[in-house]
Amino acid sequence: MPREAEPSLNEREFVLKALQENTRLDGRELDQYRPLELTFGDQYGVADVTLGKTRVLAKASAEVTVPYTDRPLDGIFNIATELSPMTSPAFEVNRPTETEVLISRLLEKTVRRSGALDTESLCLVAGQKCWSIRVDVHVLSHDGNLIDAACFAVVAALRHFRKPDTSMEGGVLTVYTPAEREPVPLSWLHSPFCITWSFFGEEGEIALLDATWLEEQVRVGSCTISLNKHGEICQIAKLGGTPVEAVALLQCTNVALSRAKDFSAFLDRKLAEDAKRRDKGGLLAELSAENDR
Amino acid sequence: MASQQHVLLSPAELAYLHDSLSLTPPLRPDGRSPTQYRPLSAETGILPGTNGSARICFADGTEAIVGVKAEVEKTRRKWDDDTIYDENKEETREEAEGAEGSSDWVELTVEIPGFRDDDSSTVFLAAMLSEALLADGGFVRRLVINRRFHWKVYLDILLISPPLSYPLPLLSLTTHLALLSTRLPRLKSEGDEDPFFDDDWAAAPYLYPRSSNKKVLARPPVTLLVMAVGNNIIFDPAKEELAVADVALAVSVGDVSSSSSSSSSEGEEDVDMTAEEQEGRKLRLLSIRTVDPPSRLTPPGVPNATNSAYGHAQVGEGGKTKQQMPEARAAESEAVEGVWKPPRGGAKALVMAALVQKTLQRGGVADEVFDALEGVDLG
Amino acid sequence: MPLDTSTYSLGLLRVDGRRWNELRRIHAQIRTQAAADGSSYLEMGHTKVMCVVTGPTEPGPRRGGNVGSAGGAGAASGGQHKDAEVLVNIVIAGFSSVDRKRRGKGDKRTLEMQSTVANALAASLHIHLFPHSQITISLHVLSQDGSLLAALINAATLACVDAGIPMTDYVAACTAGSTSTYAANDESADPLLDLNHQEEQELPGLTVATLGETDRVAVLVCESRVQVSRLEGMLAVGVDGCKQVREILDRVVREKGRKMIQEGTVERGTGLNDMDVD
Repeated sequence: MPREAEPSLNEREFVLKALQENTRLDGRELDQYRPLELTFGDQYGVADVTLGKTRVLAKASAEVTVPYTDRPLDGIFNIATELSPMTSPAFEVNRPTETEVLISRLLEKTVRRSGALDTESLCLVAGQKCWSIRVDVHVLSHDGNLIDAACFAVVAALRHFRKPDTSMEGGVLTVYTPAEREPVPLSWLHSPFCITWSFFGEEGEIALLDATWLEEQVRVGSCTISLNKHGEICQIAKLGGTPVEAVALLQCTNVALSRAKDFSAFLDRKLAEDAKRRDKGGLLAELSAENDR
Repeated sequence: MASQQHVLLSPAELAYLHDSLSLTPPLRPDGRSPTQYRPLSAETGILPGTNGSARICFADGTEAIVGVKAEVEKTRRKWDDDTIYDENKEETREEAEGAEGSSDWVELTVEIPGFRDDDSSTVFLAAMLSEALLADGGFVRRLVINRRFHWKVYLDILLISPPLSYPLPLLSLTTHLALLSTRLPRLKSEGDEDPFFDDDWAAAPYLYPRSSNKKVLARPPVTLLVMAVGNNIIFDPAKEELAVADVALAVSVGDVSSSSSSSSSEGEEDVDMTAEEQEGRKLRLLSIRTVDPPSRLTPPGVPNATNSAYGHAQVGEGGKTKQQMPEARAAESEAVEGVWKPPRGGAKALVMAALVQKTLQRGGVADEVFDALEGVDLG
Repeated sequence: MPLDTSTYSLGLLRVDGRRWNELRRIHAQIRTQAAADGSSYLEMGHTKVMCVVTGPTEPGPRRGGNVGSAGGAGAASGGQHKDAEVLVNIVIAGFSSVDRKRRGKGDKRTLEMQSTVANALAASLHIHLFPHSQITISLHVLSQDGSLLAALINAATLACVDAGIPMTDYVAACTAGSTSTYAANDESADPLLDLNHQEEQELPGLTVATLGETDRVAVLVCESRVQVSRLEGMLAVGVDGCKQVREILDRVVREKGRKMIQEGTVERGTGLNDMDVD
């Protein structure tokens, strides 16, 4: 299995020396994100996130299935991340690398375990039928900071997604197609976002946000903080690496909170734009008496 | 797994070991007699969260821990047996699955550091250990609670140290000890109703009960590793001795009395053993499996092509196979004094018979091992 | 039975009789296994962990991007030529929890813990001294009662000390929690030190590991929802707890060293003048 090419000594030293002087290669501030772009697909539940050169696509889908035997009143919710060779030849399908396992765990803790999606609302018939929501995350281009981009994409896809409407009449469950009835959004409780800090220097004293791939290869430690705009931390993961002062970590968390609020506002704005766009095509087209000739 | 460990000994050292072990009586490198075991330390009851646990450390530093946990499970009924429900006929009770027991009531897993779960050696070890336990059906018969419920027993075997030598005897002894120390809660319900148990752990009886004078009435099986060099049979081989073995066998020995006690195994046994029974137990051979000793591996420095045990017949020069080239064949099988050659061919029948007899005879090795383990204080 | 935290305010006692800032009983031993390079056995309350370290040795067959390994800097799977590679393997026994539960080798939670322990120790061990080598740490979990990751890190540290691998300082870990629920912003919520299994399930908590006696945090894992304002209190209590754990670990090592010198197993070294040996 081919390994990633390591940065040369020159590149490494250059990046580190520049950071000593508070300069980053692309001229950003230490706590500045790359330009974030979000596009929704035509289908409900497709979100395409671009963070600089990193590009992640998330697609949400739903199907009716049997709930787990030990949780008959809950629906099923899964996030699947598979890094394919499309991202980099170092990744192989079906052979989870450390990066893949960590991304998968972080997304699971952030979105699934924090209860962002209300699984009880996915239950259709207790113990027999429930919705199984699945989000597939595809990384199209990897230039650092996959976690933040992937989390953002997952949250955007889930908030954008509409599941088919259902009704229960006398024990018979009817699932309506989008043509019959307008699909309904998921029951969403809060929107968590991941903010990843990277540490550099002998004692990890330089901290920056949104590292590019080169900066990621050169860093000595990292810490991913997931929180929502209300100031609730969903998870923190600093899994080893150079030890960093506790006070510095607390400061990082506070900055992360303001970033999460920015993300939240951005996402709300984008969702509103998309809704308006669809609405223009949808409702007004129905009400219009124009015939297309 | 023995076949994967290569002990780094030169051909001269291997020849020396082989020759000294072929003498009458055999000279072992550490001066032990052929039936003498190395000292080991054993303790039980180390894990209060389990039904039974044991830890054994061998003299060469290898260590294993076994934990036994039990759960109540509903017994599956056989569909075609409708005489079960006839309360009057006591003899038909034995026909139902409930009284006989089933081998899926016991789940045994082995974990060895550095090896995957589905590695062939791990699976083989697990199969050997569970086969000895389930061989005569006596063990699963002890797990019956009533006709509708039984105990499902999980045996988790962990090898703590890196696998330096073939771990089978260590794991088997530790499993034996853990089973000896296993206790199941005392049944308070009657007949076939849903079982409920006494909360008092001190009242819980042992799975393998002891009589009032602390003699064990029945015991779980144990698997011993035995090897033969020439006509000599050697027990508890160290890894250097295993490297020159002609034949290595894993012999599982069980206790006959363990299968005969079924319904009488619950509750306290006040019956003292009669004089005949106290003289010695009746041991029984449960299984024999051959183990591939590392002596059959290609010695270091020799190409694999010249070793006919490695893969199928190699093709020599001129397109003739090994068998057809008399010089190559002679080089393989002729024994030259003082030169080490990997053993070829299987074990002689007489050697196997002598091996089995020596293990099972009264006062023999198996008896000693059982006695030693019985003496361990059950914490 | 849900945990009743009404009696938990600062002055009063927890379910197991501890106060808010008390650690559970920590019992540790090193050199428990003669055949290994380094070994340790650690109990934090009822959480029992055994650790065996082999290394530095020749590297095994090369597996690229292996989970549970750390070497070189950051996320790069390279660096195998500059530094030793630290491989961690965790086996959680089926009998470790109250219900018997078998975990497959590919379980993601176990893989994440392996990666965390490897990276935590790689930051402290002087792996640049052993290029082209491999240090294998095998951890066995015999019993779980909360604070599992903390116990694993502590046991691995002790075993590495026993193996004689040079390191900057002990990596000591412990858990901390808070009696607040995530939604409430209550000021009356108190931080707690060293959570057991029941507290871990009900209350928000985090695992923190520090390097020696400094305030530098090597590992910080929080998997529950908690308000940002609670974080400072929990982190402060956690870091303080780590210092106490470090004291205990150091005492265990020194005690063993003293015993080994007394028994004559090792010669008294020249740098040991500050040790009280009779």
